[in-house]
Formats: sequence, structure tokens, C-alpha cells
Amino acid sequence: MRRTSISYTLSHCVKCLKCVKACPVSAISLVDNRISINEDRCINCGQCIKACHSKGLVAQGSSLEKIKDYEYTVCLVPSAMWSVCKTIEEAERLYYAIKQLGFNEVIDLSPVEGQLKHETQRICENLENGNGIAYFCPAVKWLIETNYPMLLDNLVPLNYASEVKAKEIRRRENGDKIGIFLLCECEAKLALAKEPYKNLTYQVDHALAIIDVFPAIREHLKDGREKVRFCRSGLQASNPSVIVQKQEYLVADGFDKINEILSMEEFNLLDSFKMLYLFPCFNGCIGGHLLWGNSYLNRNNIDALTGEENVPTTDYPIEDLYKEVASSTSDSRSFKEKMEEFHKVNEILDHLPHYDCSACGMQTCRIMAEEIARGNKKLSDCRVLAASKGKVQ
Amino acid sequence: MSVIYEKIYNVERDDYANAGLVSSLIKQSLRTIGISPAVSRRVAVAVYEAEINMIIHAYGGTITLQISDDGMIRLIAKDKGPGIPDIEKALTPGFSTASKKAMELGFGAGMGLPNIKRNADEFSIESSPAGTTLDLKFQERE
Ligand SMILES: Nc1ncnc2c1ncn2[C@@H]1O[C@H](COP(=O)(O)OP(=O)(O)OP(=O)(O)O)[C@@H](O)[C@H]1O
Ligand code: SF4
Ligand code: SF4
Ligand code: SF4
Ligand SMILES: [Mg+2]
Repeated sequence: MRRTSISYTLSHCVKCLKCVKACPVSAISLVDNRISINEDRCINCGQCIKACHSKGLVAQGSSLEKIKDYEYTVCLVPSAMWSVCKTIEEAERLYYAIKQLGFNEVIDLSPVEGQLKHETQRICENLENGNGIAYFCPAVKWLIETNYPMLLDNLVPLNYASEVKAKEIRRRENGDKIGIFLLCECEAKLALAKEPYKNLTYQVDHALAIIDVFPAIREHLKDGREKVRFCRSGLQASNPSVIVQKQEYLVADGFDKINEILSMEEFNLLDSFKMLYLFPCFNGCIGGHLLWGNSYLNRNNIDALTGEENVPTTDYPIEDLYKEVASSTSDSRSFKEKMEEFHKVNEILDHLPHYDCSACGMQTCRIMAEEIARGNKKLSDCRVLAASKGKVQ
Repeated sequence: MSVIYEKIYNVERDDYANAGLVSSLIKQSLRTIGISPAVSRRVAVAVYEAEINMIIHAYGGTITLQISDDGMIRLIAKDKGPGIPDIEKALTPGFSTASKKAMELGFGAGMGLPNIKRNADEFSIESSPAGTTLDLKFQERE
């Protein structure tokens, strides 16, 4: 089961309900005067963190201290991280500084990301009809599983770059003893590791939030540099403005836009495209919430980083790149049970005001009705109903 | 077999601004209930095409969603005219009489009715100058 990477600080929370309203999958509610996140539903999209203006919610990774638990450690660095460097010299200083954190090896993921990008395009172009949805962002996959189950078949069944690389590392001699760390540019990727959220199916041991380790990295930026060269295709893969320019590819960034696209695709209105390449973050992964810098400026850095020498993509055998996608959601209820529940909730909903104001702590009146149906809430917990009753008396 | 859920939606003539709204509401209901993704997708595609046809070719009408206890999902799209003079022709892929305005908005490939027919488990159409009625059935497993 997936765990949420969002944590809550009661003492900072002003109970404004902005996070409750922002959640795309209705995973947050205010219960007993504190924010509660439904772990089963949360897709780690970070929309709640963006909505909160009071530091009530944060995404946290593992602590760097964990390096000490291993004899040998590897740090995986995604393309998006390099995009903050304006020159190859800056990148080499960054590479050196990351190593000084105490890792034995620092591995740039851009060659893997490049191969995954090419493979995604190949799969989509060979589709007989319809299109494939490319999801380098795990939140896209989880969003589709939760809100757009009709589109599960469109998902391109490729693995994440961090997992492809981590699997290779595990195959080394004593590979299972190597501590694998992943630098994460967003909340979603923090969930792609065993720790800190106990997502045990992944090969990566620890997910680190880039902003958390940045102060430690900065201390070493002036100390030295070490040669590193990147794969242009990989750097492009995390950046929607340069990724691919082809008529039959639809590339989009921003949560509202991808929701619109997914809703249209449910009606088969995007059949003329071969590939839907979706990034919930503005400017793609280089706009990740846990990365610093100005993503509008950063997207111009890629040329400088790959101008001199271009590292080829990796060439893993195809089977190392694939990953199974659940073919349908895990709703085990019978049709009869589903309809009974739907009726019960609708009956309760008829008594609620349909304001969807969230004042009761639930995102919408429907969610409230579901809670009432489960016996967790009462009609009188609706603030609007309670207020209007007060007036009549 | 008896109907255990019914909801009737209005569709207005020439209401391009809200094109797809009723289909979205129906799609949302199916997801809320938990109807299987494969059946929901077929319903979604069909109801969208039917709704658009009502807006661009007809004088508006109603779309009724019915669900029966045996898992039958039925859509009845009933409009107020002007009817389809030659149904067989209208069902031919590529046939369209879409207005210039509708074409400009991206409709009028003549694929709507053929897609509806392909996606529904049962399809029937009746038409006279008083109106066209599409009756579509989709079978969800029990
Ligand atoms: N409800 C309706 N009332 C009157 N005429 C209709 C109706 N539905 C379809 N038609 C006629 O049938 C033709 C074919 O319909 P169909 O939905 O297959 O294609 P279209 O609407 O023209 O284009 P597309 O659906 O691909 O955008 C229409 O052009 C129109 O002449
Ligand atoms: S991370 Fe996204 S899905 Fe999870 S609680 Fe926040 S807004 Fe909801
Ligand atoms: S957005 Fe949520 S967590 Fe932040 S202050 Fe408001 S209620 Fe509290
Ligand atoms: S109207 Fe009542 S039930 Fe609906 S969201 Fe507001 S307080 Fe909750
Ligand atoms: Mg049509």
C-alpha cells in the first residue's frame, strides 16, 4: 500500500480548510479539529501543500544521517536537479558537493530518463489506435487510478528511472547491502522509496527531499568540481517546453490542464494524438516543489549543459524498463452492494444543502453524506443546516 | 428486471458553451457508483456523441440515465426534432450535415452515430420530424 508523504503540524494550522478544498481526490478532511489525510486515497500530488499558507503541511524525506546505516551508498540524482545549473561548471560543482554529503557514488539519472523517453515514444507510435499516457510523474499514475480508472489501459507500462537504475545496482555483488538514496524534486517522488514512508515494494532505500539537503550541499559548492556529462534526451524528459515537438504528441503541464485533458480523453476526444505527456507541475519536474530556483529560467539551461558532450542513453534490455500497471481498480463490492451504497448516500445527500462549502470539514456535501452513511457523522454536523436551524428557532 | 435508478437531464439547443456537461455528470455518477471502467468508458463515449448531436443538429431534448437491478445501464436521448430524414445514411461513417459553425468548433466528422452504435451493447434509433430517440443499452456484470 502507498503511504502519503505529507505531514501535518497542528500548531501551525489555522483551520482555514484551503487544503481540504484543494485536494483532487478528496483525501483530506478536518476531523476533531485537526487535518486528517486518508492514506489509501492520497496521490502525493502536493496540491494541499501549495494551498496551505500557514506551513501546516509539509513533505518530508529521510534524514541524511541514514547514510551512516550503510557501508556503501549510492545517490541517484534526477535530471530536474541539474537544470538549476547554468553552466557545466556549476553542474560539476553540484556533482562534487552532493558526493561530499558522504555518498560513495553519485549517479546522474539522465541517461536512464532518456532511454525511457525514447521507449515511451516508440510504444505510443506503434499503438494501432488511441493514445498512450506517459507518466514520468508517479502522481499522474495515481491520479488516473483514483479519478480516471477508464484510462488505466492508456498508461504506458514503463517503470520510473530511479527504479530501473536501483534494480541494476541491486544486481551488483552484495547489491542488496548497498544503501540507495534518491534526491526528490517533488512530494510524489518521495513516495518511491522504502523509507521514510515504508513503501517496501521499491528498490530505493531512502527518499531525500532536495530542499532539506540543500543547506548541506551549499556548504560544499565552492570546494571543488568533478567531471560529469549529461544525456540531452534525459534532461529534456523532465521539461515540457523542450521534450518533444511533434504534431501527434500532446504535452501539458499544470494540474488543471492535465485534468482537462484526462476528462476529454475519457470521451475519446484526443484520438488524433499518439501520446499524452503529462506533468502536474508547471514547467514539469524542473518546477518540482522541492527544487529551488526559477523554473522558467531553469528550462533554458539544458542547452548549456549538453552543448559540449552528450552522454548516450542507457541501453537496458526492454524487459528491465517495464512495469505492470493494474488493469482495474480493487473494488471488490458486487453491483448490488454498489447500488445500495449509492442509494443510501443519495438519500442523505438530498437533505444536505449542496453548497460544498467544506465548513463541516469534509470537502463536499457528498463526502459528508458518505461519512453520515458510515455512521461517522450526523446531519446536524452540517454547519449550514445547523446555522439555518438556529435562525428559525 | 426493474429500474432502480433514474435521472433525467435537459439538453438545450445550440448550447455550445455547455456541450459535454450532461455527459460529464453521467460519467461522474458512474464513477461514484463504481461501474467498471470498461463499461463506463463505452457509456461515456456514446452519451457524449448523443449529447452533442442534440445540441448541434436538434432542438434540444432530454437524456435519461436508467440503471436496472440486473446491471443494465440504459441511456435514452430524446430530442424535439427536426428528425433525421434518412437514418441509414446518417449511420454511415463520414456522413454529416453539420453547420459551418459546428464544423468550426471541431464537430462534423460524421463519426458520432457510428461510434455510438459501436460502443452500445444494444442500439436503436427512431426518428420523425417530431424528434429523434436513441435508446442505448450497456450491460454491467452483476
Ligand atoms: N439528434 C439529431 N437530430 C437531427 N439530426 C441528427 C441528429 N443526430 C445526428 N443527426 C444527423 O446525422 C448526421 C450524422 O451524425 P453523426 O453524429 O454521425 O455525425 P456528425 O454529428 O455530423 O459529426 P460528428 O459526430 O463526427 O461530430 C448529422 O450530420 C445529422 O445530419
Ligand atoms: S498530496 Fe494531493 S492527494 Fe494527498 S492529501 Fe494532499 S492534495 Fe490530497
Ligand atoms: S491549508 Fe489546511 S493545514 Fe494549512 S492551515 Fe489551512 S486547514 Fe490547516
Ligand atoms: S453544506 Fe454542510 S455538508 Fe455541505 S460542505 Fe457545507 S457544511 Fe458540509
Ligand atoms: Mg455527431
